[in-house]
Amino acid sequence: MHSIFIQPVLNFWSGYIRLVTRYPTLGSIFPFIPLLLLWSVVVDAEFFPRSFFPGPADVAKAFYDLSRKGILLAYLEDSVVRLVVGAAAGMFAGVFLGLLVGLNAGFYRALWPILLFFQAIGDIAWLPLLIIWFGFGIKTMTFVIVYTVLFPVVLNTVLGVRSIPLDLHRAAQSLGASRWSILTNVVLPGALPNIMTGLRNGLGYGWRALIAAEMIVGTSGIGFMMFDARRSGSVVEILLGMIILGLLWYAVDALILAPIERATGQRWGMVTQ
Amino acid sequence: MKSLTISNLSKTYFDPYAAKHLTAVHDVSLEVPEGEFVSIVGPSGCGKTTILNMIAGFLPASSGEIIVDGRLVSGPGPDRGVVFQSHALFPWKTVLENVAFGPKMRGVGLKEREAIALDYLALAGLSHAAERYPNELSGGMQQRVGVVRALANEPAVLLMDEPFASVDAQTRMTLQEELTRIWQARRPTILFITHDVPEAVFLANRVVVLSKGRVLEQVEIDLPRPRSWDTMMENEIFKQLSARVLQLVRAA
Amino acid sequence: MTAVIQDQGFVARAMKLARPALTFIAPLFVMVLFWELLIRIFDVHPGIFPGVSAVLIAGAESITNGSLFLHIGASLARVLTGTILAILVAVPLGVLMGVSPGVSMFLTPLFRFFSVLAGIAWIPIATLWFGYGFGAITFVIFNAVFFVVAYNTLLGVSSIPLQLRHAAASLGAQRWAMLWEVLLPGALPNIVTGVRTGIGFAWRGLIAAEMIATNLGLGYMLFLARDFYRTELIVFGMIVIGILWLMIDRLILAPLERRTIERWGLVR
Repeated sequence: MHSIFIQPVLNFWSGYIRLVTRYPTLGSIFPFIPLLLLWSVVVDAEFFPRSFFPGPADVAKAFYDLSRKGILLAYLEDSVVRLVVGAAAGMFAGVFLGLLVGLNAGFYRALWPILLFFQAIGDIAWLPLLIIWFGFGIKTMTFVIVYTVLFPVVLNTVLGVRSIPLDLHRAAQSLGASRWSILTNVVLPGALPNIMTGLRNGLGYGWRALIAAEMIVGTSGIGFMMFDARRSGSVVEILLGMIILGLLWYAVDALILAPIERATGQRWGMVTQ
Repeated sequence: MKSLTISNLSKTYFDPYAAKHLTAVHDVSLEVPEGEFVSIVGPSGCGKTTILNMIAGFLPASSGEIIVDGRLVSGPGPDRGVVFQSHALFPWKTVLENVAFGPKMRGVGLKEREAIALDYLALAGLSHAAERYPNELSGGMQQRVGVVRALANEPAVLLMDEPFASVDAQTRMTLQEELTRIWQARRPTILFITHDVPEAVFLANRVVVLSKGRVLEQVEIDLPRPRSWDTMMENEIFKQLSARVLQLVRAA
Repeated sequence: MTAVIQDQGFVARAMKLARPALTFIAPLFVMVLFWELLIRIFDVHPGIFPGVSAVLIAGAESITNGSLFLHIGASLARVLTGTILAILVAVPLGVLMGVSPGVSMFLTPLFRFFSVLAGIAWIPIATLWFGYGFGAITFVIFNAVFFVVAYNTLLGVSSIPLQLRHAAASLGAQRWAMLWEVLLPGALPNIVTGVRTGIGFAWRGLIAAEMIATNLGLGYMLFLARDFYRTELIVFGMIVIGILWLMIDRLILAPLERRTIERWGLVR
């Protein structure tokens, strides 16, 4: 039944399963290998001219060149710093605002539709106005990122806060908890899964907003690099930028968000709001 | 001849963690003539579910033959109906649509297959539930729909994989009685897997005791029908047979 | 007598439907009043932020000269085309991948990776390959929707309990029937969630793309207005974008998702 060919394949597969179970990160990396191989093969077959559709080797070379010149690092730093600063601000403001709106019925009735409306407008639509006010610069981009991160965080926090059963509040009160204690012992833990979902979504949107803002407004950063390379027709740099974006986000997702996901039992890909 | 014959059935599989081959079923042979009710009992891990999955065609056999209704088995098919432990009803279809599913797959027209489905639902006393969705029913009712759904397809063999294991004790007894009643009415060929010895003895004509992938012994159940739990509890022969089978199972 | 009672019933019912709409619009209306008030109190220069009347006038103008509908039409056409194409490709692909647990385990990281690259990152390469205009933007929309929907379809199909598929097989379901009767219904909640998320990404990417890669559409309308410092037109455009998305998401997508989960999300 098990011929000579099947045995080594089985061994390989068994080894793979064991390795991936012990180090799940590897399971996230391995599948890309055949993709890279496929990419090389397609490029070598020259269905498209090489300048139009470069291969992994070309991209790797560009990576090396740009890194060596320090350009890549500088751009990366710019992008990441903007994102971190903007996202942090957005998250704090978002949780704070979310708690406020979630806990107070008056604020909720007054502000909820307004929040939804502003979220619907979206960050990018603010750019023309922002450019008029602040010009093409860092203030504009920071605003966009804060705005983008803010709304998923606020909306999800509100959802989380409002879904805590009233009885829990009452129980805490009848056990003598002060308002602050209720906040820290009931509200925050109870809303935490939703807050985490909000943070995850916010970060995801924030990242995209950053790149968009850099393309439209920026003078540096990965998004800018990609957009600029378009003008000089350098497809390699565009692809490099895309890969870096993907890798960065992938790393953030795997090293920061996924553990949070696992700890709070959420599922990626399902939008709450 | 709607019967089931297993010859020298074996199953070995490769465990990636242990990195070696394990044998779940050793050279099992069994004959289930048409219209018979055969029960397979054994402790957990003895291979009974594996055997059922092979007969059903969900798992390929490593060696041996399975012949149903005169034909060799390979892959799942409507000639072997299956009743699962977890009802496995389609949650997005009504009870009626679920039961009519088998005939639908055979190309039976809407009116006709609904009539067939209603007929079988009536058999199990479930006519009132026809337009409900599975998640609106109790566990016991869900299981009955599962049985009826498999029967409505009139398979050569009905394979039942511990179908009443996840139901409470009272409901289980009711379901068991109902199963024998349905069996007496329609006389399908049934292979019933369970770890519950009294259940096996109550239901079957013959009990096959399995241990570590091998057939230990087969015990003929010579009890009159129809069977009901009130009378069965006091029945001496029942007690003796149950004790006997239990002994075999525990010694395994 | 009966006529009066019936009238009351109708009015009562109409008011019942209107209430949620009113509670939603009321705060926005108050905000508009606030807006006008602030402009007047602080004497804000129209070049910084326009007053309500200026916005309304600019809006009326763009409606009467037809430019608004042209831009909305272009934007919606791109979203619709890109989304439909993406769904047509992503769902079958997702199903194929989801059916085999080994394949789905292997391909999931790839799709997660490309999901992140949604929309906007494809613009530079899209404009290089397709030039400016409809093609490039629709390509961006396609990507934004495709990866998310494919991933969610994969997720949905692979989370259908194996026993359900076994049950269908032992009832005689062949490939095609298995797809229509089991796989698609079982994965439908995930698919719809994926579509909703994807369209959300697509809409954002659309506006951004239209600012830099075309000369027709809502994003372009905003950017053009900026060139002429016509803040009232910009604000009008922003309001239109907000209302459009609210309508699409809240009136179409969210109910669709909720209805789907209610009807088909019973597996979990």
